[in-house]
Amino acid sequence: MDESVPGSAEFEALRQKSIEAAEAAIREASSRPDLHLVQAIQALDDTDKYLNITATRASEWYGLHFPELTQMVQDNVALCKIISEIGSREAFNPEDLGGRGFTDKKVEAIITARDRSKGGTISDGDLGRVKSLATLAVQLSSLRDGLNGYVESQMKKVAPNVAEIAGATIGARLMAKAGGLDRLAILPASTIQILGAEKALFRSLRTGARPPKHGILFQHQAVHTAPKWQRGKIARTLANKIAIAARVDYYRGSEDPSIKAGLDKRLESIKERYKEPPQRKPEQRDRPRREGRPQRRGKFNRR
Amino acid sequence: MKNLLREEKNGRTALLTRNLVPGKRVYNEDLLLRDGVEYRTWDPFRSKLAAAIIKGLPEGTIGVGSRVLYLGASTGTTASHVSDLVGPSGMVIGVEFAPRVAREFVENVARVRGNVVPFVADARDPSKYSVTEVDVVYCDIAQPDQTEIAIANCRRLLKKGGTLILVVKARSIDVLKDPGVVFAEERKKLEGAGFKVRSVIELSPFEKDHALVYSTI
Repeated sequence: MDESVPGSAEFEALRQKSIEAAEAAIREASSRPDLHLVQAIQALDDTDKYLNITATRASEWYGLHFPELTQMVQDNVALCKIISEIGSREAFNPEDLGGRGFTDKKVEAIITARDRSKGGTISDGDLGRVKSLATLAVQLSSLRDGLNGYVESQMKKVAPNVAEIAGATIGARLMAKAGGLDRLAILPASTIQILGAEKALFRSLRTGARPPKHGILFQHQAVHTAPKWQRGKIARTLANKIAIAARVDYYRGSEDPSIKAGLDKRLESIKERYKEPPQRKPEQRDRPRREGRPQRRGKFNRR
Repeated sequence: MKNLLREEKNGRTALLTRNLVPGKRVYNEDLLLRDGVEYRTWDPFRSKLAAAIIKGLPEGTIGVGSRVLYLGASTGTTASHVSDLVGPSGMVIGVEFAPRVAREFVENVARVRGNVVPFVADARDPSKYSVTEVDVVYCDIAQPDQTEIAIANCRRLLKKGGTLILVVKARSIDVLKDPGVVFAEERKKLEGAGFKVRSVIELSPFEKDHALVYSTI
């Protein structure tokens, strides 16, 4: 072993070499495209939150002035676009509304509502603030769409198989939870299945409550549109295939259509085999207790 | 030369370490002058080693001139105080695996402090940073097998008669078991590996479900 004495020239040379090597390692890690993708999906989810808050506030505030419109235009972003571009109730006219893709019937309804609105008057000062908020919401919406498109195209490059099986945004969220594609590729499928349901998992371990069937994977269309009794099986299958896909993406890096084919086949057979809800067996109600602390009877584990 | 000061203030103990690089802060801590010498405040709520010293870890455990292998250097808060403690004649080999926090460790601590040698490496692979035998191994890593990792590092790099300071995070080892049971189990593992456990210091109220095991071989 090299016995360099602290303070000596040899020690200082070793130290400088070591700093350089450490910085090189950090630099290399920071340029990984999957880490940028993780930031992008988190930015997308953040933007969604801001968008909701901002659009809801604009709609609530504007609702004091023209409540009927906020009822008639359900989509908050579409409403904000109208608020920011038209403004006060008096400025609404049939020609302009027609140009926005409303049906004649809808235009008529809005104009009638304009004339007998139960809303109050609004000062220029208030209207100016509401319009600024609405403009911000419209901008956030376009930022959101841009991020969404970016995540989709990047996922196809960074993890094409995960994108194919899980979908781009869900795949990216799993990657964010795991801490990168390398980490996702070494996670067991059982962990992938419940990523995002940590709270429920630890509650289950502590109290013996039923374990979660799915975390982030619940957002997958195949899981949340399925009947309740199939969801656990579907989530498990999906997690298995995502685990394989992540490994292929990380270690091989080429597309493999056989994963998707296997998934579809298995999903088909789950739907076929478990068409009917399971019969409840009487003895099933008395599940054996786990070891550990006594089971808590709470909101989530009523039998 | 004393690099560690203890001050009693309103019934509380405050710790200060003599600043190796006067005028430089690492994480916005307070700099105080005592008899014309600059010291940095060492917050026991931010540093488990400081908490352990307040709760009875002998002060000389990490002494002037010691060579310390620091596993899990993180952003370097505690590592910078260890660097103060050992002074210019000692050295701190800081190992951190996560690039995000290693960046701050290298920038704010290793670059500035002449006795700190940084490694971005996995503590499971000591060959990556085997530069010298050390007097003290300090291990603060959140892994279920942290004790085994610490023992493997000591086998390779700790000199005979050296000290292992192991921070046991009960919640990283097993979330279900009672922390006291976990501490006892990890203690057994150390004793089985030939260590003499001097004390097990629980870090409450500074840190929940953590203990620091002080042992020698």
